[in-house]
Amino acid sequence: MLKHGTKLRQDPAVNAEIVKETWSFFHLKFKMTTQYSILFKQEHAHDDAIWTTAWGQNEKDRTETIITGSLDDTVKVWKWSEEKLELQWTLENHQLGVVSVDISHNGALAASSSLDANIRLWDLESGKQIKSMDAGPVDAWTVAFSPDSRYIATGSHLGKVNIFGIESGKKEHSLDTRGKFILSIAYSPDGKYLASGAIDGIINIFDIATGKLLHTLEGHAMPIRSLTFSPDSQLLVTASDDGYIKIYDVQHANLAGTLSGHGSWVLNVAFSPDNTHFVSSSSDKSVKVWDASSRTCLNTFFDHQDQVWSVKYNVDGSKIVSAGDDRAIHIYDCPM
Amino acid sequence: MASFGWKRKAGEKVSKATVQLFEAEAEAEVKGAVHGEGDDEVDWLHAIKRRKEVLLEDCAAKSKRLKDEGALLAEEGRHWEAVKRWDEAIQLTPEDASLYEMKSQVLTILQEVFQAVQAAEMAVKFRPLWWEAWQTLGRAQLSLGEVDLAVRNFQVAIHLCPAERPLWEDDLCWAQKLQRQSKVSREKAKEEEEVKRQLLDAPELIPDYDFESDEVVAACETVAERQKRYDSLRKTTVLIDSSGALVTAKNEDDPTPPQDQYVKARGL
Repeated sequence: MLKHGTKLRQDPAVNAEIVKETWSFFHLKFKMTTQYSILFKQEHAHDDAIWTTAWGQNEKDRTETIITGSLDDTVKVWKWSEEKLELQWTLENHQLGVVSVDISHNGALAASSSLDANIRLWDLESGKQIKSMDAGPVDAWTVAFSPDSRYIATGSHLGKVNIFGIESGKKEHSLDTRGKFILSIAYSPDGKYLASGAIDGIINIFDIATGKLLHTLEGHAMPIRSLTFSPDSQLLVTASDDGYIKIYDVQHANLAGTLSGHGSWVLNVAFSPDNTHFVSSSSDKSVKVWDASSRTCLNTFFDHQDQVWSVKYNVDGSKIVSAGDDRAIHIYDCPM
Repeated sequence: MASFGWKRKAGEKVSKATVQLFEAEAEAEVKGAVHGEGDDEVDWLHAIKRRKEVLLEDCAAKSKRLKDEGALLAEEGRHWEAVKRWDEAIQLTPEDASLYEMKSQVLTILQEVFQAVQAAEMAVKFRPLWWEAWQTLGRAQLSLGEVDLAVRNFQVAIHLCPAERPLWEDDLCWAQKLQRQSKVSREKAKEEEEVKRQLLDAPELIPDYDFESDEVVAACETVAERQKRYDSLRKTTVLIDSSGALVTAKNEDDPTPPQDQYVKARGL
């Protein structure tokens, strides 16, 4: 019988394994990821389902903050540092479930909307509430900061997009789609457009400067729970209960692609800052990363136990956060 | 004979000898039966397989018929019969969420609240994205007195379908009112308990006291004061007026018997 050591060293498969291990060590050490992987899990992050998340970065000290809103009525502020989450604040002023959260572009403020019809503004450094704006019953759903962070837009049940001033704390403008309940809102990063998605599947794109309705797209026949612009403001990606994701060319309002792959409602979409990838989450419990130019699915994460309500990229596009009905927050690594 | 795969697959799991023995015996039995009866030949070996396929198709159709029958009966107010039909249908198609959901609605009407909650829980388990199932679950929990759970599940329903106005205006709004009411009643009960406790072991009642002193008078006064507070607390009830505001009303003395009779006797 041959000696183990001598025989195995010559086996090419083992050699390949050694090379692979060396490489993965190298990547780990220099933080160069070549494949998608789950990096961190925060189980029991809330007492009930998590409905919404946001990922922001403070302009001054470069610290990264993740906020989550839940059916347990609270908003939690987490600090992301050294590859783990640290709970900073639990904000308890809402009386009912928190539907949507967003972080201002300088990373200093957070906005949250709840089924109690209030939109609240928070100072992320102190964890204190700055303002509470009464949107009126049934009139606070998705909240989105404008690119200059001076306004917050939210949809309403009568198909109006209400725009609140951060300074004034009051409703300052209103854009009318003459449509149904608006579930999703997104500003284009260049500040030119505002898109809204309604419960009947209609997408409206407004010109912000004039307040004019530019395009009405009948993209889906079912509710649109999320939409997102690409960082260059050229593309709009929409997610619907019909299980499809659609990509539109914003300027000409052309349908550029329809993506299938999720087995159930698509609940959330978010574009990567690299302008080529976007991520989607679904009630089929999966999170999918897509390539926008080839329109193919690059990776599927099946790590959640239940519906995944929210998914977001971090500021440099190297990480993804997802959360859902299983009360867990997951952080994934993306190849750069 | 290698044309069809079923039998071969089945044979792979059982030992070959057993299969052969079984087939030989079955054949012998069939022959025996043929000899005995003489008329219609039944291929028992294959009949079982075929029957299962036929049954599968039948289940869905029969369940649908029973479901429709139940719905008709429920509309006519024959609730128990409807529940019976749906139970039969559930036996046939145990994963049909709509059967559980309808059953839950009718059980709530019948005041079988616990069963109603159980049925609705099955409905949301099989179809978690169906907002109406969550609404029915919330309503069943409300009649069971589980107000907090009802508020939670109405919110889930709204989150799935926010355009449904009755969910906001009727279900959630009403459940929140009840939630506030039960909170106030709980606080009141706690306060009442506290006052009662103080009344029973009053610190002023020291075992050896001087009957002539002012201390005794003072102690009696405080005890009397507490007694009064306890009585007044017992007479308050928590109400909610139509606008949803909470009112703590004071009952006037003892409830007086109603002046007019409720049931009027008719002369025969």
